[in-house]
Amino acid sequence: MNGASYAVTGVGTFWGRELAGRLKERAEGNRVLALDLHRPHGLEPGVDFQYLDLIDTRAAQTLGETLRARGVESLVHLAFRQSPGPNLALDHALEVEGSRAVLDACAAADVARVVIPSTTMLYGPKAGNPNFLTQSWPLAGHPHAHCVQNRAEVERLAAVWAEAHPASAVSLIRSCWALGARFRNYVTRTFERPVVSTCLGHDPLLQFIHEEDLLGIYEEAAATAHPGIFNAVGRGVVPLSRLLALAGKKRLPLPEAALEFLGEHGGGRAGARGNGDEASGFYDYLRYLWVADGELGWAEFGEPRYSTQEAWVDFVSSDEQAFES
Amino acid sequence: MSNSDGAEDSAPNGNVIPLRPRQATPESGGSEAEALEALRGALDDLRRKIRARSPGLAAEEAPRPQSDPVDWFGLFDELRTRLARAGLRERTGEIDEFGMETDLVERMRPLREFMAKRYWRVAMRGTEFVPRAGPAIYVANRSGLLPYDGWIFADLVRSAREGTEAPRFMVDEALITLPFLQPALTRMGGVLACPENARRLLAAGQSVVIFPEGMRGAIKTFDQRYRLQGFGHRWLAAVAAEAGVPVIPAGIVGAEEAQPMLFRSYGPAWLLGLPFLPMTPTFPWLGPLGLLPLPSTWRVGFGRPLEPGSLDFEDPAGLDSDAFIGVLRDRVESLVETGRRQRISPWS
Repeated sequence: MNGASYAVTGVGTFWGRELAGRLKERAEGNRVLALDLHRPHGLEPGVDFQYLDLIDTRAAQTLGETLRARGVESLVHLAFRQSPGPNLALDHALEVEGSRAVLDACAAADVARVVIPSTTMLYGPKAGNPNFLTQSWPLAGHPHAHCVQNRAEVERLAAVWAEAHPASAVSLIRSCWALGARFRNYVTRTFERPVVSTCLGHDPLLQFIHEEDLLGIYEEAAATAHPGIFNAVGRGVVPLSRLLALAGKKRLPLPEAALEFLGEHGGGRAGARGNGDEASGFYDYLRYLWVADGELGWAEFGEPRYSTQEAWVDFVSSDEQAFES
Repeated sequence: MSNSDGAEDSAPNGNVIPLRPRQATPESGGSEAEALEALRGALDDLRRKIRARSPGLAAEEAPRPQSDPVDWFGLFDELRTRLARAGLRERTGEIDEFGMETDLVERMRPLREFMAKRYWRVAMRGTEFVPRAGPAIYVANRSGLLPYDGWIFADLVRSAREGTEAPRFMVDEALITLPFLQPALTRMGGVLACPENARRLLAAGQSVVIFPEGMRGAIKTFDQRYRLQGFGHRWLAAVAAEAGVPVIPAGIVGAEEAQPMLFRSYGPAWLLGLPFLPMTPTFPWLGPLGLLPLPSTWRVGFGRPLEPGSLDFEDPAGLDSDAFIGVLRDRVESLVETGRRQRISPWS
């Protein structure tokens, strides 16, 4: 038994399923434990699946026993909402309390490497942001994006846990918006439309990371210890107008009031029927700068294969029937 | 495009190549091998054609030996990437990491030259103090609401340095984040004024122009013209010391008369979401035309550079930083005064 023992939570998501397959194929003898509510269709056959409900109060205990029994040395916690839902309490319970349970289980099982994905949305889209935000920039988040606020809490939990368990290597991977041929979430749904509504008078610089590059980073962080916080982004920044022109999409610049109205009553992305947040919780990210500096991440995990523009082009030129995550 | 394997029914239109191999596979097993061979041949043909069109790529890969199994996914990925990128370069101009569009800046050069030479009749002095090589920080007085001074000054520095690229002018947060101004200023080379941006630009070898008066200088009314306000952006001293670049003071005379703000109207401005409306002799009476700047005479003077070592920069965060900013302010003030004296009249 010379392979490594991995555990991946949230295999129902695109990231979890793909990563579990990659880790299994990475080396002969690797044992991968996939954890979620259901075994997803398309999961690599050699991966072992176990039921895990992170909202259950006994989740930490059962997970800890399982991890210890299997001798798991590396856990990647990917059980996070890819698109915010209307039930804020449920999202909080899953993302924050669920992460707490996973971290408790890792402590009980002495897991050597813990990888927790985070997002550069935590820096917050603010008017005074410099053009490149480093890892030490304070995390402002956004008051109207509840999933972003949840992730900020998870980062705090992870930081406290990492200090309390110096023997474990905790990698916090803050990624920007991920694009690619297959991954879909609320962000990609906005960009899939032929007419994309933007903020009137604003044209921010955006950055993306390709799904393959991000999966590569998760895999690398799971396989070898990379303790610390890293921005995982693609090279280059492109203005939103240029991206839409490249894709042949039309822009619909709308004033703030119109965006709020559409969010509330459009039944679409924002509003009580959509994702439980006000429209500004998303549209501010298309208004102000929140570009992260990726030098540390590139030095640690290698050059990304796709630049921001290439990731965008790959996404735009991809098939319509990509699966939902 | 000819199909070397001779199968005629799997690739009927020689020029239409389905990019998804599995869609091209027919139901029955017998012709499946034929179809795959035909597809493989067609894809190889296409790949060779793309490589032939891009001369840089032709030398990259050795031809794949026929006996090896085709790496479908690798080929698919490579084709998709190259096809997606093909033709894009012609449509996209270069946009640098701070959002400046070099194409646009080049296209606007005739306009900038007209404004500098004919409209505002700029005369420079002290150009011998502009360093010929290496990044530097230029510090000037701020006048007028819209940053025409920054825009023209950056171009003047470029012409004084002959052939190097223009410095980036730093714009206060309050202006560069306003709707419509944000994309316009960014595309033309404006950058948010903050120490992180300055450090990064200097490290990349680019000069920056900083207006330490900030918005205080921009919203001066006409009766306070050329009265230098307090200097903010005090981080510039520490940044200059860390980067080891000289700080060149400059005085810009003429921008105040180009955008003379008689008074600020706070009443109806809140309807537009602005803090105030500038009242000039032409705006808002002439409508949007009133925002065009007036053709005053400009005089720009450069002063002797202040080297970071010359004022004992052992502790940039301490009292030395204040002393440095104080000296800088005095130099800028005297340059402005000299410029005003040398100018016979603002409109000649």
